[in-house]
Amino acid sequence: MPEQLTLYLHKLSPYSQKIELALVEANALYKAYQVDLGNKPEWFASMVNTVGKVPAVTYGGPDVDPEDPSPLSAKIAESNVILEFVADLYPDSGLLPKDPIQRANVRFFINATAKHVEEVFYAFLGLRGQAPYEKVLEGIEFIQGLLEEGRDFAVGDHYTIADACITPHLARLKIVIETDLGNYAVGMGYKLGEELKRPKFAKFMKYLERMLERPSLKQNHDEEFVITYFKTRFTERVQ
Amino acid sequence: MPEQLTLYLHKLSPYSQKIELALVEANAPYKAYQVDVWNKPEWFASIVNTIGKIPAVTYGGPDVDPEDPSPLSAKIAESNVILEFVADLYPDSGLLPKDPIQRANVRFFVNATVKHVEEVFYAFFLGEAPYENVLKGIEFIQGLLEEGRDFAVGDHYTIADACITPHLARLKIVTETDLGKYPVGMGYRLGEELKGPKFVKFMKYLERMLERPSLKEKHDEESLITLFKTKLGDERAQ
Repeated sequence: MPEQLTLYLHKLSPYSQKIELALVEANALYKAYQVDLGNKPEWFASMVNTVGKVPAVTYGGPDVDPEDPSPLSAKIAESNVILEFVADLYPDSGLLPKDPIQRANVRFFINATAKHVEEVFYAFLGLRGQAPYEKVLEGIEFIQGLLEEGRDFAVGDHYTIADACITPHLARLKIVIETDLGNYAVGMGYKLGEELKRPKFAKFMKYLERMLERPSLKQNHDEEFVITYFKTRFTERVQ
Repeated sequence: MPEQLTLYLHKLSPYSQKIELALVEANAPYKAYQVDVWNKPEWFASIVNTIGKIPAVTYGGPDVDPEDPSPLSAKIAESNVILEFVADLYPDSGLLPKDPIQRANVRFFVNATVKHVEEVFYAFFLGEAPYENVLKGIEFIQGLLEEGRDFAVGDHYTIADACITPHLARLKIVTETDLGKYPVGMGYRLGEELKGPKFVKFMKYLERMLERPSLKEKHDEESLITLFKTKLGDERAQ
């Protein structure tokens, strides 16, 4: 009987979504609890994650209500640390390959996602400094260089934590290029989308489409909800 | 017979040093090749690491001269990716514990080192951030350490210790020599703060890490001090 695993998350957080994708792809049993980030319960910082951020996981200990976390469970934070933890709990799920070289390729892809997608795309959106859409394209080009023609996944022939890591950002990229929502100058979202339609980015866009078609993503991603959030969140367009 | 492993490094790079510490602690055989980072050979970017950065590893393939890397070897870059790779090659070395929760603790410590030490300390060193940020970062790391425990996580040297130790060695140089681009005296100031009772646990950990034979073998403090003196120039932030 596997130990209890509770994932504290937020529906709008791509970092939380990474974990849900990995858990679903591994057919793992878990409890999900949505934390109201605008009105954080006191027990969350004191009992689950002192930094107060999602995603956070409790593992083991007695099977309790998520609102009453036990001091006996292990507490794990940081999305990429949690991804590796899930892969360790399910070593035969394929979330991480068995071969050391392939494992290194998965980790390199995750590192590249952090540097060339996460840091850049959210700066473009205006959430974290600022960046022009050209920087997003540069980052995508780097990621595309890691993908192989004819291969369905980021690394090898199975869904790994590399795919789980990048997919939530791909889902938000799709929203940006289709709706032009964000704090960047009006039209730059559409411009980004136009550029990504060029033959130069065909390999990346095919990968994006495959990732967004997976049942794990469809089950987990409420596009309307994210769009509504973007509309309320991004009201200060750069000129 | 393990496959060949060649580490392309620079002896004065903390990111390269992380890997050497892990390899030495795991008793792993390897070849080390020093890349002249200010005058990189053409074959380095075309065959070993297209981004041209060190550390980079070649693994497997024929046993060749490091200056003649084979297209048949696997190429691995990014210091923390390489640390995990070495831990995977030597699963019984203790570099990563076997228990998933302890492994998560090691990875959290590595992640914390990146966020609260690497990003902060070198910004301070280059005169771009105040020393108070360094102290905040150290406080976060200290919060992860346990009284009476010799290592970052558990009871064995792990990639968490290998990851942070090169930066601890450079922190020591800064507090003892005041070398850097930050305003004059801020290095000594940082050192004074770290001598206070608030940072005792961290400083004990720092001293234990700097006493390890692996660090003493791989760390050339004199050359590093000379490098700081020659490469930084005389201009200090105000």
